[in-house]
Amino acid sequence: MTGKIVIVPCSGIGKTYGTVSREAAYILTEDLRPEATRLIALSPLVLGDAAARAAVADVPMITLDGCKLACASKMVAESGGQVARSFAVLDVYRQHRDLKPVGIAELNEGGLKLAQVLAEEVAAVVDTLRQEEGSHA
Amino acid sequence: MTAFLETTLDKFTFKVATDRWYTAEGLWARVEDGQARVGLSDFLQQRSGDVAFAEVKPPGTALKAGDEIGTIETVKVDIVLSSPVSGTVIETNPALADTPEVINQDPYGAGWLALVELNDWAADQANLLAPEAYFDLMKRQAEEEAKGT
Repeated sequence: MTGKIVIVPCSGIGKTYGTVSREAAYILTEDLRPEATRLIALSPLVLGDAAARAAVADVPMITLDGCKLACASKMVAESGGQVARSFAVLDVYRQHRDLKPVGIAELNEGGLKLAQVLAEEVAAVVDTLRQEEGSHA
Repeated sequence: MTAFLETTLDKFTFKVATDRWYTAEGLWARVEDGQARVGLSDFLQQRSGDVAFAEVKPPGTALKAGDEIGTIETVKVDIVLSSPVSGTVIETNPALADTPEVINQDPYGAGWLALVELNDWAADQANLLAPEAYFDLMKRQAEEEAKGT
C-alpha cells in the first residue's frame, strides 16, 4: 500500500459518543497502528481544504461515527473520499453494555475502555485492508 | 394508511400519527380489537436520541396506566417509559432485542414496544390526549427545548 489508511472520526464536539470515536482514533493512529494509519479531521474535508483532500486522494478511509446520523461517513463520501469501512460507536457499545461511556472533555473508565475496544476492531480491519492491498499489488 | 400531523422546527421535522392517543410524555396507544399497541412518539424518540437498548416488561405483566412498561437507554439519556393504558402485556416487539434502533427508524410502525390486553379503554382514553391535542403540546415542548428552557 502506498499511503496510510486515513481515519476520520466524528467531529461532534460536546457529544460523549463523538468523544469516544475521537479517542479511538487517537489510540489507533498513535498507539496501535501508527505506521499504517493517519488521522484527518472531518472539518477540513467538508470545507474543501485542498491539503486535506489531497491527503485522502486514492487512499482508503475508515470513518468512526459517534451516532447513527453518521456525519463522518456521509460527509467523507460527499467530499469524494473512498470509505472502505464505517464504524459506529453505538454499535460497539451494544456489544459491550458494561462499558457505558460518560463524559465529554474527559471520558470515564467505561468510555476509555470502549474507545480501546473500538480501536482494536478498527485495527483488525486496517490489517485486513493492507493484506488485501498487498495481495493485489 | 396512517395520516400524520407535521411540524418543522429548525432542521427537525416532527410527526404525530392521527390514528392513536398519547400521553403528555409522548407514549402512544393504538387500539386494535380490544388490545392496545404501545410505542414512542416521533418527538420523544428524536429528543431522546439513538436508542442503544430497549427493555419492555414481559408478557403476563399487569400494568396500570402510568406504571413502568419499559425503559430505553439512548446516547443521551436513560428513560423510564410509563404505560399509557391499563391491562396485561401480551406481546413485546421481538425486534427490540437486536435492533432497538427500529424505535428511531419507525416509531409509529415497526418500532412499537408492546401489545397490551386492555382492562378499561374508556377510562384510559379519558386520560390521554387526542392527536391534535398532543400535536399542540408537542410543538410547545419542541419550541421550549429549542430555546433551551
